[in-house]
Amino acid sequence: MKPVRVETPIPPEAMAGLHVGDFLEISGVIYAGRDAVLPKIVAMSDAELAARGIALEGSVIFHTAVSVAGVGPTSSSKLEIEESIAPLSARGVRIHLGKGRLKADSIRALHAHGSLFAVTTPSTALLTDRILATEIAAFPELGMEALYRLRVDRIPAVVAILHGNSIFEQQTQQG
Amino acid sequence: MGISSDKIREATAEALVRAGSSFTPGLRAAYARALEVETDERSLWAMRQFLENADVAERRTLPLCDDTGIPHVLLEVGELAEFGGAHLGAITEGIAQGLKRLPGRPMAVLGDEVQRIEQSQGLSLHSEDVVPPAFSVKRIPGDRVRITVLLLGGGPEIRAKTYRIFHKHRLETVVDEVAQWGIEAVRELGCTPAVVAVGLGRTHFEATSLMLEAMARGDLERQTPLEQQITEKINAGGSGPLGLGGRVSVLATLVNIGPQRASGVRIASVRTCCGIEPRRATVEVG
Repeated sequence: MKPVRVETPIPPEAMAGLHVGDFLEISGVIYAGRDAVLPKIVAMSDAELAARGIALEGSVIFHTAVSVAGVGPTSSSKLEIEESIAPLSARGVRIHLGKGRLKADSIRALHAHGSLFAVTTPSTALLTDRILATEIAAFPELGMEALYRLRVDRIPAVVAILHGNSIFEQQTQQG
Repeated sequence: MGISSDKIREATAEALVRAGSSFTPGLRAAYARALEVETDERSLWAMRQFLENADVAERRTLPLCDDTGIPHVLLEVGELAEFGGAHLGAITEGIAQGLKRLPGRPMAVLGDEVQRIEQSQGLSLHSEDVVPPAFSVKRIPGDRVRITVLLLGGGPEIRAKTYRIFHKHRLETVVDEVAQWGIEAVRELGCTPAVVAVGLGRTHFEATSLMLEAMARGDLERQTPLEQQITEKINAGGSGPLGLGGRVSVLATLVNIGPQRASGVRIASVRTCCGIEPRRATVEVG
């Protein structure tokens, strides 16, 4: 199956043509954050986000640290990460990129806000050449767990949860 | 003449970099077996990504995963080796040097006991501040020292479990329980296909030590019938790589059975290692 190319900012209507199981290649400016920073982003007002140049509408949040070791997905089911998925979807985040199964509440919230969850392999070495630029967008004191702004070229992923369907639940039913 | 601390330091650093940036031949062989039996398109895609990533990491000496893991050291000291505290210091320094070279992810949590738990003082900016826990030490014949470095990522630690099994004097009871834990773990673990490491002992410490030994020395190319049985039971769950479905949730199982207590209870430690693990390398100095 040929991958669907996705460029940020992603318009809401782009979701309609996508399905669970689709291969994606994500390009453009995306954000990277995880346990420590995502609750802080959720708690920020629109004005505070705007002051830092953070635009969530149509954005992608990659659940990863950013460090000298590179980037790679962390478990999205970690409490603070999964709890950010509903409120950030409500504020326009279209793709949450990470790994692992999510709870039923998250599946419903993604559906309600027209967002999706995609997974990718921990291909840190492979991604090295696909991360074109990195900069800290907020909370630099968190080090590798700060919110980062990345410019990326064709990050590979698979759509795992969309339109109320989860590829993980399909496996459970079949298994 | 005794063993050179410089040699130990350099060998340890080299082992850490190798563990963090390359697949062992056994892990490659396990992937090759899996690719032969898999038919699911997404499963094949995911496993090929794991392999392609390993190729790039090895060629350019880059970390396999940005979670470069917590370094663990398993030490085997020859009974005729002149080995002392200075050598232990050299191993610790070698770990730090290896982390600087790899480079390891700077993820040491700063502060006192409470601050470290609450992660309120931030992180060290230095890769080498990630210190290993106490080393495991064993005696071996001869006059050489063998150092194994394992890098343990955080995802599998969320799913790993050390717990008791009421065995009812049947191996099958233990196998079923371990396989059930494995099925639950691979459903939640995002970075499958996994290698399942199992230690069976008398105490939680012993079971976990045995499990780590299984990761360090288990044979991924030649699986025992017991290991194959556990792999097949977990794969029947159908989670597949990344949970996307398919025949291969688990590439292999590594079982290490130690002494047992006269009791109806066995202590099992089960770690579903992610698809780049076991990240291990062994060097011998002497």
